[in-house]
Amino acid sequence: MSFLQAILDGLLIGGVYAVISIGLTLVYGVMGIVNFAQAEFLTIGMFVAWFAWAFLGLDPVMAAPLSFAVAFAIGWVVQGQLISRVLTAPSVAQIFLTVGILIVIENGSLLLFGSQFRSVTTSYQTASLSLGPLFVSIPYLIAFAMSLLSGIALWWFMRASWFGRAMRATAQNPSAARLMGIDAALMYKISFALGVGLTAFGGAVILPYVTVFPGVGSQFVVLMFTVVVLGGLGSVAGAVVGGLAVGVIQALSALFFPIQLQNLILFVVFILVLAVRPQGLIGASR
Amino acid sequence: MLRRNSLTGVRLNRRTVLSGTAAYLAAPFVISSARAEAPPVNVGVIMPLSGPNAQFGINSRNGVELVADEINKAGGIAELGGAKINLVVADATSTPTTAGTVAQRLITQQDITAVLGAFASSLTLAISEVTERRDIPLLTMSFADQITGRGYKNIFQVVAKASVIGKAQFEYTAAIAQAAGTKIEKIAIMYEDTAYGTAQANGLRAGAKAANVELVMDDAYPLGITDTTPLINKLRASGAQAVFPVSYLNDSLLIIRTMRQQKVTIPAIGGAAGYVIPDFEKGLGEFAENVLSIDTSNYDLAPELTERFRKRFGYFMVHEALEHAVCLEIVVQAIKKAKSAKAEEVAAALRGAKFTGGWINGMTGGAVQFNEAGLNVLSVPLMVQWRAKDIVTVWPKEIARSAPVWRS
Repeated sequence: MSFLQAILDGLLIGGVYAVISIGLTLVYGVMGIVNFAQAEFLTIGMFVAWFAWAFLGLDPVMAAPLSFAVAFAIGWVVQGQLISRVLTAPSVAQIFLTVGILIVIENGSLLLFGSQFRSVTTSYQTASLSLGPLFVSIPYLIAFAMSLLSGIALWWFMRASWFGRAMRATAQNPSAARLMGIDAALMYKISFALGVGLTAFGGAVILPYVTVFPGVGSQFVVLMFTVVVLGGLGSVAGAVVGGLAVGVIQALSALFFPIQLQNLILFVVFILVLAVRPQGLIGASR
Repeated sequence: MLRRNSLTGVRLNRRTVLSGTAAYLAAPFVISSARAEAPPVNVGVIMPLSGPNAQFGINSRNGVELVADEINKAGGIAELGGAKINLVVADATSTPTTAGTVAQRLITQQDITAVLGAFASSLTLAISEVTERRDIPLLTMSFADQITGRGYKNIFQVVAKASVIGKAQFEYTAAIAQAAGTKIEKIAIMYEDTAYGTAQANGLRAGAKAANVELVMDDAYPLGITDTTPLINKLRASGAQAVFPVSYLNDSLLIIRTMRQQKVTIPAIGGAAGYVIPDFEKGLGEFAENVLSIDTSNYDLAPELTERFRKRFGYFMVHEALEHAVCLEIVVQAIKKAKSAKAEEVAAALRGAKFTGGWINGMTGGAVQFNEAGLNVLSVPLMVQWRAKDIVTVWPKEIARSAPVWRS
């Protein structure tokens, strides 16, 4: 029984991991850049949602589109002004740049918002649904539902809209795309901004059960990288599968091992998967 | 000015004599104005002002500030010529190594008489290594057993130690349950895995063992835990009649919320720290009602003193604020006893001594008596319970302000 409960909890949490990590894999898929600062946009999204809750009385889930918009705007500027300069530079330069952005954002939020932990209180924080003998935590369920919605929206965007197809074309072959009249620079801006916006969106929906402080991003960054690499770097479907897998592995490992070993078990599984299938569970589309 | 004369050696000319005389005559006025202002007594206050324990650090600092301001307003320390207390506040952050570095820097940069800090036992242990080396007394309300268990001469702890508190956490609960007609046979403990949680868990285990009660769950969890569902899942499956969590703030909120979500309704008896500060009630609202917790002191035992804190800072005087206020009161009394602000002399005045009066009335027993290890042997843990936005002392009966409510 606790086995089934653990799987359920793992899937719910995994859905959120997926939406947080999709941005990372999207950026890599389209631009070939590993954005080490991705988790900081999670922090930004959470802070925006927290302030919306504190000053506008908005439920964090309602504020999630606002977090998306703010992170989208910041990502747009960051890509246009900073990342675009190192797109053709050696990867060392790209790493330095994104790590530098990470440091600036983390310490900037420390300066602006202070170091204390902030949390929200919502009416449904302690509520749960009973599915027979299983309990479904409402905050987790809502976060999962929002993640699912944003995942579907992204999928539709990539498949059916002109921008989505143009982004995929740019990812496949930037020169050919340019020859077809696609403005590659614009595509890069959109994909970066979209990627960080999604991560911020994920941050806002987990606010009901995670406390926000300037360093919260670093708690998730290793998880995010595990998710995308496990699923296959560059594959959005891979991020979804990876996210769900990580969530379930974490929840199940806590049943059999002390909770402090949660991440250890995760990494052992991670290493085993990569040893057998280096391109990840789904494999890269790049 | 001094002209060398080949015949008579150094000769003083008139100008030199005049300026010298003027200086000589003016000297007493210059020196006496320096003497009229007694040098301030520097007391180091090292607290976690950032990170997960920031709120506790801020509360503690507020308690110390309240007492320092009261003493300074009343004219400072008379025995030292009206010397004012100067608090040198530093952020210990949440990592022990940083706390040690911060303490080192604080002590080298100025003349410190004593250090108060650092709420979290892991940080206090790191700072105590620095203060012990430099012979500066460290007063604390952290209570991991290790703090007074290393044979240090310059550490002074004003509350009972963790294993005693843990044992009381269990024993008082068993007594309260018995008074309500329930016999406790199976319990669960979960604790954060730094020095504080681990030491208190030892006490809980000892208490359970002595009473032949079965420990159906005994789990440590990392301090920065973000998801407690696996723990509560396990708790529900364990069949415990009561759970004893030892947590700081975020984990305490997570645990109680997840328990409610998963409809785990067994009584939770907290281990102080996160369970007894206003933020606990702010974060849980009605779910904080009737949560029990062990505590090392409580504001309702000395309202005439602690109401001053509530008036100034707007919330009830949390135990860490009260205990740090007591620490500063003790330092000042030791300074008066030693008639000196020199660290070694103040430490000597503290060793093995008994202190009463002033803020010390807020401690159980109304006095503080340090033994050779620096532990206050008069401090007795007490059980508190949330009633609306306040916490009231409910056990032991002799000091209880209200009868305990036991929901099983």
